Amino acid sequence: MSDSPAAANASPAAIEIRGLTKDFPVNLRSLKLRAVDNLSLTVPAGQVFGLLGPNGSGKSTTIKVILGLLEATVGECRVFGVPSGRVESRRNVGYLPEAPYFYRYLSGTELVTFYARVCGVEKTRLRDRVREVLDWVGLSGAADRRVGTYSKGMLQRVGLAQALVHDPRLVVLDEPTAGVDPVGSAEMCELILKLKQQGKTVLITSHLLAQIEDVCDRVAILDRGKLILEGEVGELIGQRERQALIVDPLPEADLAALREWLAARGHALAAVEQPRARLDQLFLSKVARPGRVEERHQS
Amino acid sequence: MSTETMTALKSETGRVPFSLERLRLIAGNTFLEAVRQKLFNFLLLLAVALVASAQFFREFNFGSSELKFIADFGFGALVFFGSTLTIATTAQLFFSEIENRTALTLLAKPIWRAEFIFGKWLGVFAVVGVFCAVTIGLLVGLLFYRENAIMTLHPDAFEGGRIINYADILLVGGLQWLKFGVLAGIVLLIASFSNTNLYTVITGFFVLVICHLQYLARDAYGQIDSLLVRLPVMVLSYVFPNFQLFNLADSIGQGGGVEAMVAVRVSLYALIYIAVFGGLAVYSFRNREI
Repeated sequence: MSDSPAAANASPAAIEIRGLTKDFPVNLRSLKLRAVDNLSLTVPAGQVFGLLGPNGSGKSTTIKVILGLLEATVGECRVFGVPSGRVESRRNVGYLPEAPYFYRYLSGTELVTFYARVCGVEKTRLRDRVREVLDWVGLSGAADRRVGTYSKGMLQRVGLAQALVHDPRLVVLDEPTAGVDPVGSAEMCELILKLKQQGKTVLITSHLLAQIEDVCDRVAILDRGKLILEGEVGELIGQRERQALIVDPLPEADLAALREWLAARGHALAAVEQPRARLDQLFLSKVARPGRVEERHQS
Repeated sequence: MSTETMTALKSETGRVPFSLERLRLIAGNTFLEAVRQKLFNFLLLLAVALVASAQFFREFNFGSSELKFIADFGFGALVFFGSTLTIATTAQLFFSEIENRTALTLLAKPIWRAEFIFGKWLGVFAVVGVFCAVTIGLLVGLLFYRENAIMTLHPDAFEGGRIINYADILLVGGLQWLKFGVLAGIVLLIASFSNTNLYTVITGFFVLVICHLQYLARDAYGQIDSLLVRLPVMVLSYVFPNFQLFNLADSIGQGGGVEAMVAVRVSLYALIYIAVFGGLAVYSFRNREI
């Protein structure tokens, strides 16, 4: 994979959606269901962008419009300046669908080779590129096994490999950790962060908000097809008016003295509590160990 | 990834042209998926068994010569199982892509929907081609074996040479293959707007029957005076291809032959319908929401 960050600030934006509305016909009496309602969104190049929302909020519909799989009822969507309905717009896009299902009778290598050839990767570089991308997602050990024997985590990995094989500038990941265990999820997050380091733009949807928080630069929240919030993760969830100091355990007397000292300066000690590790971090520290990835692939 | 490779991949700009390579890849994948299906192997085995068993039914030849009976029996098996295979496989392979959502991954690549549709068609056509080749190969072998046996017993009946023209059998087999290609185009057109595999298969069989009986509409068309009745009948007779045109096997086994010009005209007829139905399927599938 690319070692040097690409020109992340190059214009135009990776994705530009203006006034997007998508209606689905419900029955023959021309009743329509509005899945996306006047959505305007810009995903800057080189960022990891999270598209959040409850089920039925319009995330998948928006992604399908971006990929040219659905046509907008009203409005427009451009990918690197090219209208998303055009085949050309997908040249720079890699897509990992939710709960991916691939041709079960192909091996990992054959599957990624198939998609690489569909995307027009040069024959002279095909073998190296496929090996490189399978290695990058950690599937070298299972590359010759049939996809039908893969676990969910491995399916996500081979899905990511096929999405990246033509070296796209934009990677769209629809629920990349759905149904994957915490170790697999953490590995997927690591890969997303690596993609960001390479200067790729990543659009990700997930219900696992803690993961989104860890990897995303910006997020947008959709509800019933409408954009209700958008901004940088730090700005949206950070509490600028407050600070947390983490210190060694203080005796009660010292704590009282600290309260007095703060009060004398017009501040208040809002809370004293014991910091807690996140459960997923605890799980990973106990379960994940060196060589586990290869073990999982061999199993 | 090396900078050189990245440059090579990114240097492609402008319009994405229709690609025969992508078409071949999709067709190859479709073929691979089809030959792994139980249905294909089951129908192929049935057809082979039926053709191979034709010699055991020669006592029931209803007055026609034994060789003619074997040829008719063989072509009957080819037409029946070939049509079933074409309709079921085309619908199955199309909807497996949609229902398993592999189409989602594939169509999210820089690929034209026309490449997808014609790739599917080509894959099915190749599968049916294998079916036709095996069935016709077996039929030719069986006829050759029986003709040699009869020649030994009744040499005087073969003074004018062999009765069976094997080149004609291959030619008629090829025309049947083209007919299945037209049928696959029709099924793809139905599948392109249909929501279910079952609807596609049932409608496909209905259309198959209409195409086989379409000549009746053509006959009726010549005898109808009223323009109001004549017009819809005429339209119907052109919308549905006439599958009776492909039945040139009648003269085989009776010493007759198939005229080359007729075979050329029927082939052109099939190719035109394949192009039209394929084009309509692409048009219908173009805006389908995956």
